Amino acid sequence: MIVANYLTAAALFCFGLYTVLTRRNLIKMVMGLSLIESSSYLLLISMAYRRGSTPPVLLNPPHGQTVTGLAKGNVADPVLQNFCLTAIVIGVAVTAVFLSVAVRVSQHYRSLDSDRMREMKG
Amino acid sequence: MRPRETDDEPTHRPIIGAVLVAGVAVVLAVAMVDLPREGAPLPSVARYAMDVAIPKWGITEPVNEIVYGTRGFDTFGETFLLLGAVVCVITLTRRREPRQGFIGEQEAGAREQARHDAGSGGNETARQAEKAEEPGEDPTDRPVGPATPDHEPLGRPAPEAAQAMTVVVRVASRVASPILAVAGIYLVAWGYSPGGGFPAGAVMAGVILLVYAAFGYRRIARAVQPSIFETLELLGALIIIGCETLGLVLKGSFSANWIPLAEPQTIRSGGILQLFSGGEFIEVATGLVLVIFAILGMEHDWARDRQ
Repeated sequence: MIVANYLTAAALFCFGLYTVLTRRNLIKMVMGLSLIESSSYLLLISMAYRRGSTPPVLLNPPHGQTVTGLAKGNVADPVLQNFCLTAIVIGVAVTAVFLSVAVRVSQHYRSLDSDRMREMKG
Repeated sequence: MRPRETDDEPTHRPIIGAVLVAGVAVVLAVAMVDLPREGAPLPSVARYAMDVAIPKWGITEPVNEIVYGTRGFDTFGETFLLLGAVVCVITLTRRREPRQGFIGEQEAGAREQARHDAGSGGNETARQAEKAEEPGEDPTDRPVGPATPDHEPLGRPAPEAAQAMTVVVRVASRVASPILAVAGIYLVAWGYSPGGGFPAGAVMAGVILLVYAAFGYRRIARAVQPSIFETLELLGALIIIGCETLGLVLKGSFSANWIPLAEPQTIRSGGILQLFSGGEFIEVATGLVLVIFAILGMEHDWARDRQ
């Protein structure tokens, strides 16, 4: 029932989106974006799962199997695991950019409330 | 909608937001139910990576082969996205004048300035009046501790003057940090751990943060300096650019392997994968440290409120 994982990822995405849309505190909005990021990690790793599979490692084949057999056999998807690995580091860096923007904005306006930052509003 | 004065969690159009999110939720749920499930065959790109891992790259870890080999160009782009983010943070957080370290120099400077100001001009009454008006804390009031927490006598009442945690935490991190550092280097040195440089870099950044949290900035100030870490960060980027471009020069294709393959399961297995992974290790570790210390060391960029 991996579809439960997919739906959980969708729910996490929606929680994050709701936070970004309705909160006015910049830090809370960054937290919402982090939730959205996490939902993508969960989705990628869940999509990599295969029923009864082994990890994608070409080592120590079980008795009676060859390494080539392992490569052709039932393994979890390594490409999506790769996406998740790189996404985590990029997520940290992007969150850091958001946080430093939030600090500078709050220093400029002396508030973290996004409703007070309306100088550009037409 | 104007929030009440007591409402400490102001919101922005919650009902419209809820309707919009509900719509997105329905679309996502329909899409999710249609996604390939756990019984689906492996996509051809994944099967290809499994097939070429040993014959073409001599590595028993397909995830690593995808990160630095088959999809090396993608990782190359992501590396520079990371570098771009680090440059953004450094630009946003930088001070008005160049500094040697990340944290604490402003405070030390303010302390010296206050000493200098106290000795020059004005009578005692005027200085006292000035001090009473000054809101916030006076840097000269802060206790000035010994250079490192280990020089501080044990058993003194809190707060400890040195910027560090208690002896319990310090002893624990003295034990844990070398073990964690070795584990991080192991992840990058042996090319058949999934991801190589990415998790290893995150572990090394974690070790530096652990030491910082336990011992305070002054203890690591000689090593953790913007000049050192910015140079290392660009060195990592240079290794990656060189490693990938030499493939174009020597083998006619960007990110092609140009290092002879070693026996799988050895420290040199995987050709350029190991070099790329090592460059990524430097890039990620120094990038994360730079970003975190830049945010920790952000100073107040405005005049003090006088109310």
